[in-house]
Amino acid sequence: MPNWFKFTKALLLAGGLMTSAAHAEEIVTWWDFFGGGDGVRMKQMVADFNEAHKGQIKIDATTLEWGTPFYSKVQTSAAVGEAPDIMTYHASRIPLAVKQGILQEITADDWKAMGLGQSDYAPATWDAVSIDGKQYAVPLDTHPIVLYYNKDLLKKAGVLGDDAKPKGMDSRENFTATLKALKAAGVKFPLGSVTADGNFMFRTIYSLVGQQDGELMTNGEFLSGDNAKKLENALAVLQEWTRDGLQSTYTDYPATVALFTSGEAAMMINGVWEIPTMTDLKKNGKLFEWGAVELPVIFNHPSTYADSHTFAIPANQGKALSPEKRAAVLEVMSWMSKQSLFWATAGHIPAYGPVTASPEYQAMEPNHTYSSLTKHMIFDPKTPLAGIAGPIFDVMSNYFVPTLNGEMEPTKAVEEIKAGLDDL
Amino acid sequence: MLRNRRNEAFFALVLVAPFVAIYGLVFVYPTIKLFMISFTDAPLIGDGNYVGLENYLRLPSDRRFGTALWNTAYFVLLTVIPGTLAAFAIALGVNRLAGRLQAAILALFFLPYILPVSVVYLLWDWTLNFQFGIAMYLFDMIGLARIPVFKSTAWFMPAVGVITIWWTAGFSILLFLAGLRAIPMEIYEAAALDNAGRWSTFRRITWPLMWPITALVLTIQLISQLKIFDQVYLFSTGGRPNDNVVMVYYVFQRAFQSDQGGRAAAVAVVLFVIVIVVSVLNFQLTRLSGGRGR
Repeated sequence: MPNWFKFTKALLLAGGLMTSAAHAEEIVTWWDFFGGGDGVRMKQMVADFNEAHKGQIKIDATTLEWGTPFYSKVQTSAAVGEAPDIMTYHASRIPLAVKQGILQEITADDWKAMGLGQSDYAPATWDAVSIDGKQYAVPLDTHPIVLYYNKDLLKKAGVLGDDAKPKGMDSRENFTATLKALKAAGVKFPLGSVTADGNFMFRTIYSLVGQQDGELMTNGEFLSGDNAKKLENALAVLQEWTRDGLQSTYTDYPATVALFTSGEAAMMINGVWEIPTMTDLKKNGKLFEWGAVELPVIFNHPSTYADSHTFAIPANQGKALSPEKRAAVLEVMSWMSKQSLFWATAGHIPAYGPVTASPEYQAMEPNHTYSSLTKHMIFDPKTPLAGIAGPIFDVMSNYFVPTLNGEMEPTKAVEEIKAGLDDL
Repeated sequence: MLRNRRNEAFFALVLVAPFVAIYGLVFVYPTIKLFMISFTDAPLIGDGNYVGLENYLRLPSDRRFGTALWNTAYFVLLTVIPGTLAAFAIALGVNRLAGRLQAAILALFFLPYILPVSVVYLLWDWTLNFQFGIAMYLFDMIGLARIPVFKSTAWFMPAVGVITIWWTAGFSILLFLAGLRAIPMEIYEAAALDNAGRWSTFRRITWPLMWPITALVLTIQLISQLKIFDQVYLFSTGGRPNDNVVMVYYVFQRAFQSDQGGRAAAVAVVLFVIVIVVSVLNFQLTRLSGGRGR
């Protein structure tokens, strides 16, 4: 009898050991959409995380196609309980996700467990992940657009200021004068613009609307009052640059980057995520002296469109997250936020305040120069129709392309956009 | 021979059961469900409330639906008959070759067909890109102004039509070639003895004997072009998607972008009905016209 007792005890113990061994390393499935230079850096961060949490937490990461493919997959997989434990998400897509019920709330307890909170983030960023006072994601970064410029070409044309920034950043007249000076100096395209991609130009145009305090959506109505006029103004400036031959026409995204890096375009408005491209080219001696600054003030005051990469927990239908797993997911989000200094090398501005306040970040260039724009950021309107690859993007894009390339008058475009938006 | 009818029926049932089960699961059930959803205000995921015919009634005044309908019809017009004729002509040419050369030429024409649509998109984007496309340098050389092919509404559909014909002709060529080989040589010999010229041989022998194949190719083309999505989606990303929208693309926009499953389903039902009506009509017409004189 005692033998039996001992044996059972041993068995139980062994069983217990085995289950605890299995539980010791929590596997966190992770989906992201980082394909380019930032993808390389994110993979590095995941590897670093796994190294630091050996035997406790392991991230099993998969990178999916950015944009519509990613979000379609998330929607459908959450509905059948096949979504990952954690995923990256654009802040602009959160309103739609919350409406569809595919995100879990990040509760006050969660924030406490992560050691993060509202005071760590810029107000606009915190607001971007909040719906009706509840948070649905942990911001990792903000990624605005900036003005890239070729210092060599600018110097040659005499429009590089003493502070090594372009001249004429303070008004429409002065900036146009800078572009004209570049043209006169023999630059083929003073400004490289993604004029073949209306989705992309939404960011630039929305920034210009923001510089006039315009809003896309007020009380559920699109472009009400003088907002339509403000959109028209923004389109008119860009069209004028096209008409004067100051900006590249029908240029798609890769072509724009190529025009700038080959020196055919002296300046370029593009996302901060192209910073690694420039850094890497420069390191290999294949690039001129370059810089990146906040967008010029074309209208009343500085304003820049930004979106935010965040971490979110999918609400998997019929598959609850175990408390251990949830704790592991929170640890992932917390660790990534606090280590986001490395993420800054991908160009993005870390959302976690203490990182951007750190002396290491202050010493990073050109990141520190353009990080001033966090004070002037505007995010997408909060509606399920907004966000990258959303319906608003498509409507806008449809009329931006002909307008920016001089085929359609801004007045007409705004009329059509308003009609198109009301059709939604 | 004595047959046990009951036994036979049972065997037949057992043999078709797997097919019927799968067909029912992945086709019949979703189709019925689609019809049901089209009468609700369901989002992409989950159920909605019954709204009667509202999703259908708003279609006539829906501008984007109108654009989609028109673009789809335009695309069918641009591709179905021209594509079939081009494939027929190529098949006639290839048929005159012999041996290895024939195989090699046939392979060249068939090659595009095996490419995935994403590759087709990249190839043609590299060719026709406004800033860096190879064709644009040719335009510059002969002094023509560059054309933003995929960014202007006038050029978009014709360009996508030509690319689609280039891409899918290979399969039709194979069908035509099989048909041409099935025509007995004796008929041509008899025609030659009767002193028939090339044109009358083609008009009186090849064309009528090939008619069943031509009708088949036309029907296949018609159905697949009515359902066009991939090329239009890829070539219009970032450009002017709402001007280039086609029916399936519109279904996609409503369902996946606007989260309106009910309205998407209604559009899908309309497309379903159009495909059925048009293909039955096409089949009957080709059958009738082919029957003439025989």
